Amino acid sequence: MMRGIYAVMVLDLKRFWLDRARLIAGLAQPLLYLFVLGAGLGASSRLGGGDYQRYIFPGVLGLSLLFTATFAAITIVFDRQIGFFKAVLVAPVPRAAIALGKIGAGAAQAFVQGLIVLPFAPLAGVPLGFGETVELIGAMLLAAVTFSAVGVAFASRFSSTTVFPIVSNAVLLPMFFLSGALYPLASTPQWMQMAAHCDPVAYAVDLMRGALLGRFFFPVWLSLTVLAGVIAVLVAASVRVFNRGEDDSALGATKFNWRR
Amino acid sequence: MVDVRGLVKRYDKVEALRGVDLAVRAGERFALLGPNGAGKTTLFSILATLRAPSEGTARVLGHDVVTGRDAVRRAMGIVFQEPAIEQRLSGRDNLLLMGLFYGLKTAAARQRATEILTQLGLADAADRPARTLSGGQRRKLELARALVSDPRILFLDEATLGLDVDSRRGFWAQVSLLAAAGRTVFFTTHYMEEAEVADRIALIDAGRIVALDTPRALKARLGGGVIRLQTDDDAQAREWLGAHGLAPEPGGQELMLVHADPAAVLPEVLRAMPIKVHRVSVNEPSLEDVFLKLTGRGLGGDAPVPAGPRAGGPNRGGAS
Ligand SMILES: Nc1ncnc2c1ncn2[C@@H]1O[C@H](COP(=O)(O)OP(=O)(O)OP(=O)(O)O)[C@@H](O)[C@H]1O
Ligand SMILES: [Mg+2]
Repeated sequence: MMRGIYAVMVLDLKRFWLDRARLIAGLAQPLLYLFVLGAGLGASSRLGGGDYQRYIFPGVLGLSLLFTATFAAITIVFDRQIGFFKAVLVAPVPRAAIALGKIGAGAAQAFVQGLIVLPFAPLAGVPLGFGETVELIGAMLLAAVTFSAVGVAFASRFSSTTVFPIVSNAVLLPMFFLSGALYPLASTPQWMQMAAHCDPVAYAVDLMRGALLGRFFFPVWLSLTVLAGVIAVLVAASVRVFNRGEDDSALGATKFNWRR
Repeated sequence: MVDVRGLVKRYDKVEALRGVDLAVRAGERFALLGPNGAGKTTLFSILATLRAPSEGTARVLGHDVVTGRDAVRRAMGIVFQEPAIEQRLSGRDNLLLMGLFYGLKTAAARQRATEILTQLGLADAADRPARTLSGGQRRKLELARALVSDPRILFLDEATLGLDVDSRRGFWAQVSLLAAAGRTVFFTTHYMEEAEVADRIALIDAGRIVALDTPRALKARLGGGVIRLQTDDDAQAREWLGAHGLAPEPGGQELMLVHADPAAVLPEVLRAMPIKVHRVSVNEPSLEDVFLKLTGRGLGGDAPVPAGPRAGGPNRGGAS
C-alpha cells in the first residue's frame, strides 16, 4: 500500500517536474489578484489600499493552492485515456493507493506553487516573521491536502477532459468567492456568512490569514476540526470511487475509454 | 498456466466472447488468431484482470482472475495492443516506475530497469523521452515494461502491429529467448508467419474458438493443396466446378479450392472448363486457408502492413 502510494506520487511528481515552467505561469493568476485587483479594489475599500492588499494576501495564497491542486487532479481524467495507466491497473497496486497517491501528489504540487507565491508577501505589505511563517506553512499544508482531496474527489467521477474544467469552475469559483478570501466575512450579509460556514476554503483561508495577521474569523479549533473532517470524508469518498471500478469502468469513471 | 472454461463476456449490446474454452500449457508458445473484433483483446483483458467475465471462469497460474486478482497481477506481464508507456518520460523512468508499482524498492527497481534495457538492447535509447524512440524501439520498450514483474507468463496482444519485417524479427527473437528461458507466451497476431512459430494455435471467430491445434495439424486438416483461380467470371466458374464434383470454398474474395491432389485435377479443369482462366496458383495450405475453410471468411487483417483496409471483412475495427 505505502509503496503504491509512493509510486503514484513519484509518477505524478516526475510529470510535474517536466512541466515546471507551469510554476511560473501559475504565478500570473495570484499576482494579478494581488497587485491589480488588490490595488484597484483597495483604493475604494474601507480598509485602504495597502491594508487591503495585506488583507487579501492569504486569500490569494488560498486561490493559488486551490487551483493548482484541482488542476493536478485533472491528470486523473487524462490518465484514463493514456495507456500507461492501464499498465498501472494490472500491477498489484490497491486502488486505494492510487487515490491516496493522487491526493498526495496534488497537495505537494499545490504546496510548491504556494511557496513560490510566498516571497511576494513583503511586496503586499505582509511582513514574514519566523513564527508567522511556521504557522502559515502548517496552514498551507493543511489547505493543500484539503484542496487536493476536493479535486480528486471530483475528478475521479469524470471521464471527460472537456466536462471536468467546466464543472470544476462552476464549483471552485463560488467556493473561492464565498471563502472571504477577498473581503472580510464579518462585514458580509448574513446569508454569505452562513454559506461560508459550509465552505472548506473559508476555513483554510481563515487559518492562513490568522497565521499571518493574527485575526481569525472562525475559532482555530473549529477550522482544524472542519478541515480534518473534510479531508477524512473526501479521502474515503475517493477511495470508494477508485475501488468501485474493478471492471469495465476501471478507476470508477462511468465509462473507461478502453478502445480510445 | 492458463485455463479458461465457458468464458462469456457481454458488453452493453455486443457478446464479445460466447463460451471460450482453452488451456495453455507451461512453457508453451500459444497463439490466438482471429479477425478484427473476434474477441482476442477482450479475452486478454479478462486474463489480465482488467475486466470481469460475465460467465465462466478463467485461471492464470492456478489463480482465479476474479478472486485471485492480486496473485494473477503479480505473476503475469502483458503487452497491450495500444501503447502503454508514458511518452514524456524516458524508457528508464517508465521501467523504474513500473518496478515501484510492483513493490520494488527504488534501488532494486533501478537495477531491474537497467538489466532489462540491456537485455533487450535498449540501453542506448533508454534516457530519451519515450516519444522520441522509433516504432520498433517503442514496442520493445512495451515488452520491457511487461518484463518488470519477471512474469512466468507473458500476454502479447498484437505486440508487433505496424512494425516492419526487420523490427518484427528482432522483437520475436527476444520473445523466443524469453520462451526458451521457460516463460509461457500467449499471443495474438495478424501476421501469419508469427503464428507459425507457435507450439499451438487457437483460431477464434466471433467469440468462439473454432479450432485449436498445432500449426502443422491445423494445416493437415485441409490435406493436399490449395488451388486458386482467377477467371473471367468467378461465379460461373464456381458453379461449373460444383457441377463437376469439385467443391470450391464458399465465400472469400477469390475462387479457392482445396483438393487432396491438385496436380491430378488441375490440367483437366483447365482444359474442360468453358470459362477463361487468367491465373492459377497452387499452394500448401496456409493458416489463412484453414481459417477460411472453417469459418467461410478470411482473417482479414493479415496484410503485412495495416495500411488502407481492404474491401470486405464487416467486423474490421480500423487499423487498431
Ligand atoms: N468496451 C467495449 N464496449 C463495448 N463493446 C466492446 C468493448 N470492447 C470491445 N467491444 C466489442 O467486442 C468485440 C470484440 O472486441 P475485441 O477488442 O476483443 O476484438 P479483437 O479480437 O481484439 O479485435 P482486433 O483484432 O481488432 O483487435 C467487438 O465487437 C468490439 O466492438
Ligand atoms: Mg484486439
